[in-house]
Amino acid sequence: MNALNRPLSVIVLAAALFSLPVAAQQALDRAKIPPPGKATELRVPTWTKTTLSSGAELIVSEKHDLPLVSFSLIVLGGSDQFEPANRRGLASLTASMMSEGTKTRDGEALSNALQLLGTSVNAGIGGDSGAMGFVSTTGKFAQTLDLLADMLVNSTFPAPALDRLRAQRLVALNAARAQPGAIARRVFPKVLFGTAHPFGQLTTEETLAAVTRDDVVAFQKAYFQPGRAVVIVSGDVTPATAKATVEKALAGWPAGGGKPDFSYPALPAKVPTTIYLVDKPGAAQSTFAIGNPGPPRHTPDYYALEVMNTLLGGMFQSRLNANIREEKGLSYGVSSSFAFGKGPGAFRAGGDIISAKSDVALVEFMKELRGIGGSRPVTDEELATSKSSLVQSLPGVFGSVSSIGAAIGMLRTQGQPDDYYQQYGKSINAVTKADLVRVAKQYIDVDHLSIVIVGDRATIEAPLKATGIAPIVVLDIEGNRK
Amino acid sequence: MPTPCRTFAWIALVALSCVAAAQRPPSAAPPGSDTIRIPFDSYTLPNGLTVILSTDRTTPTVAVNLWYHVGSKNELPGRTGFAHLFEHIMFTGSGHVPYGLHDKLTEGIGGSNNGTTSNDRTTYFEIVPSNYLESALWIEADRMGFLLDTLDLAKLNAQRDIVKNERRQGVDNQPYGKVTEILARATYPADNPYSWDVIGSMEDLSAASADDVKTFFRTYYATNNVFLAIVGDFDSAQVKAWVTKYFGDIPRGKPVVRPTVSTATLPGERRFSYEDRVQVSRLYIQWPTVGEKSDDHYALDILGSILAGPRTARLTKALVYDQQAAASVSAFQSTNEDVGEFMVTITPRPGHTLTGLESVADGIIERLKAEGPTAEEIQKATAGQELTFVRGLESNLGKAMGLSDSAGLHGDPGHYKIDLQKSMAVTAADVKRVANTYLTKGRIVLSVVPAGKPDEASKPAESTKVTGAQDTPRPEVKR
Repeated sequence: MNALNRPLSVIVLAAALFSLPVAAQQALDRAKIPPPGKATELRVPTWTKTTLSSGAELIVSEKHDLPLVSFSLIVLGGSDQFEPANRRGLASLTASMMSEGTKTRDGEALSNALQLLGTSVNAGIGGDSGAMGFVSTTGKFAQTLDLLADMLVNSTFPAPALDRLRAQRLVALNAARAQPGAIARRVFPKVLFGTAHPFGQLTTEETLAAVTRDDVVAFQKAYFQPGRAVVIVSGDVTPATAKATVEKALAGWPAGGGKPDFSYPALPAKVPTTIYLVDKPGAAQSTFAIGNPGPPRHTPDYYALEVMNTLLGGMFQSRLNANIREEKGLSYGVSSSFAFGKGPGAFRAGGDIISAKSDVALVEFMKELRGIGGSRPVTDEELATSKSSLVQSLPGVFGSVSSIGAAIGMLRTQGQPDDYYQQYGKSINAVTKADLVRVAKQYIDVDHLSIVIVGDRATIEAPLKATGIAPIVVLDIEGNRK
Repeated sequence: MPTPCRTFAWIALVALSCVAAAQRPPSAAPPGSDTIRIPFDSYTLPNGLTVILSTDRTTPTVAVNLWYHVGSKNELPGRTGFAHLFEHIMFTGSGHVPYGLHDKLTEGIGGSNNGTTSNDRTTYFEIVPSNYLESALWIEADRMGFLLDTLDLAKLNAQRDIVKNERRQGVDNQPYGKVTEILARATYPADNPYSWDVIGSMEDLSAASADDVKTFFRTYYATNNVFLAIVGDFDSAQVKAWVTKYFGDIPRGKPVVRPTVSTATLPGERRFSYEDRVQVSRLYIQWPTVGEKSDDHYALDILGSILAGPRTARLTKALVYDQQAAASVSAFQSTNEDVGEFMVTITPRPGHTLTGLESVADGIIERLKAEGPTAEEIQKATAGQELTFVRGLESNLGKAMGLSDSAGLHGDPGHYKIDLQKSMAVTAADVKRVANTYLTKGRIVLSVVPAGKPDEASKPAESTKVTGAQDTPRPEVKR
């Protein structure tokens, strides 16, 4: 185990031990809250940086207490930069196709080799970044990396595998039409961003059907390039052996590629607050998603937004959950978040509400969204709790090799400085009440919200209308006007 | 079986524990390995509280886990769902800890808290910066000793509403959401406490009274029925002093009477079809097997990996890859304290019927029963266990749960090691034997089909239509 010790003097210890029998005899005052001990230290892992001969950056962070290594090859840019609008789903299919066989191993041979190494290689491509990676025991690191490299460089993309993966995706797409949360996750971004914006473009039967093997081959070649990649190795390795192992494994990866352009199309014109109702006959609950497009991760208002959202809907005792779940019992849980990334990720508040009380919940959601914008002043205690919740969660982040890798990776995918974690507490603590109100007003536009509700129209439409909060537009489960 | 808990929306770790808590502790260390283990110190207070301590200074945080040996199987008829409803009430404040302070002293200082309920046990945990360990112990001791001081009907009613919404969200409003409770009722007779699901019925949740809460608390929430595991960055002597200070004078309760659970066997196949608000049909096949007390569950776990999962697993390879008749297949053993089930789930691709898929799957299972698995299949199924175990060592909460599961179910916090050794020692002959012993004609076959499409069921003419657990006929009892 790691030996970095929290300072705790022998004297304090001895005192605690010897005083025990006395303390036990005296009546223990259980009403007295035990005070915290000395504040814990933030111990941010260190790392080394170098450039591989392919041009990719290599970052190595050592952690030797357990025989584990985490490897990730992160690509800057994702489906929103590289996927055509009429081929949504191509990036995901390409990532899966890299497990379907290489020049020297077919899909079963790859699977067998990984099973015998006791691990698996995962590949996935998100909106603004993608990654291939694995966690292995120290002894299996080089062998697993060789398999990953084979998948990266030598995949053959057999056409029958594409047809099988496509068919599986179509079944999943169809099955999700019965799931209220899945419907809301598709309709909400479509309503907010429109189909001209990558955030509003959905993977559909049509876009999946359009993907050809040639598309997959071309996408893989264009996307996975070292010029836009960062390789992060964390765990039981040294920088020198990590570099040698990675250079050897990725020797066949041709150089090329550059940082992608992260410009996004203009957002659609603002529309006055509207309820978009998707009928789910007989639904026991209404699934709410309320929000608007938000700022990118690099906004200077990031820290104020984090503190504001923590107070509004980021914790169990945040305003939304304290009111709608704990006080009124309308839900198993409601929350809010900003989908921070390179583009204008959505602010979203929501949760699943008992059908018969959908109108009451809507009134309360709106009350809280207006409240944080000024009508319900932020208390000193709310501000302090939100800040300490954020700042004091940081020391616990660096517990596993994969979480260390992810924490470093975020700095690269979101363009944050290397001393980001050291500065985090200072940045959060600088936020004032005035900042909170300002960013709430600026980024939660209560006059132009999209309120998506997936529920039993026969039960909820009239009561929702009677709240007078907003006009109702009925959509189908794909988010199209009926 | 799914494990309801206080909430799941807050952090990924918690979400994971809610669904995974009913599984066994994270396998165990490779045989003979000395470095890969969980060092721990265990002792029992005079009042019967078992304490397990394990230090890990990787991060300045501590996980506290309290494992109460009570779950839905301790519920009385007409009160299904009560153990889990009670878990919620444990978060409403206690004699000296006003409502809300618990959250303030966990999530409010960068930590977290939650509770989970299974058929067998209820757990409560905190993850806190290590300088807040003392207040976490103070909170846990207070609700263990003084919950009833502030209990009133309003608190019960508030949590009842929330739990009903939890049921709506997880069961009533979810496609395939009622499958677990239908299968439980179809598999076990009425006097078997595994015949109802942890979440319980709306009717029974409505019936729960404040007196029920008091009786349940006095019967099951006593020090002699609890295992306290503390894992992370702390000084052992200091923590032992705190444990004595806060828990030492809580009185012990009467010995807990455990329900007797008869061995479940089904004399023959029972077939059902259920029309649900789903788009895609799905086939569930469930065999009653064994619980923690039988070593056969180790081989049943391996059998699950050999049948489904990686593309080379037998059902996956045949149905998803070679024949391309299914979109997905799963197969796994669930192990509870007294009972277990082995379940195969198949989701078809368009143009393929549940009847046909069932027949193909049966052929593959029969062949495995006749031939047994190959040595390479056993090797592949066990090769990942070392990594899984070592990765489990990276989580204080994971270790705290593993140690307390081991202690609560087997009387030894170090039982996780035996688990691993037995799991790694499973042979092809073991897998062949358990497949032949348990994957027999005595099973449940449940087709879930889209509303209005009863013909999509597997062998619809031979399947009894049900609309939920309430009208699912219970199995006949052979005495």
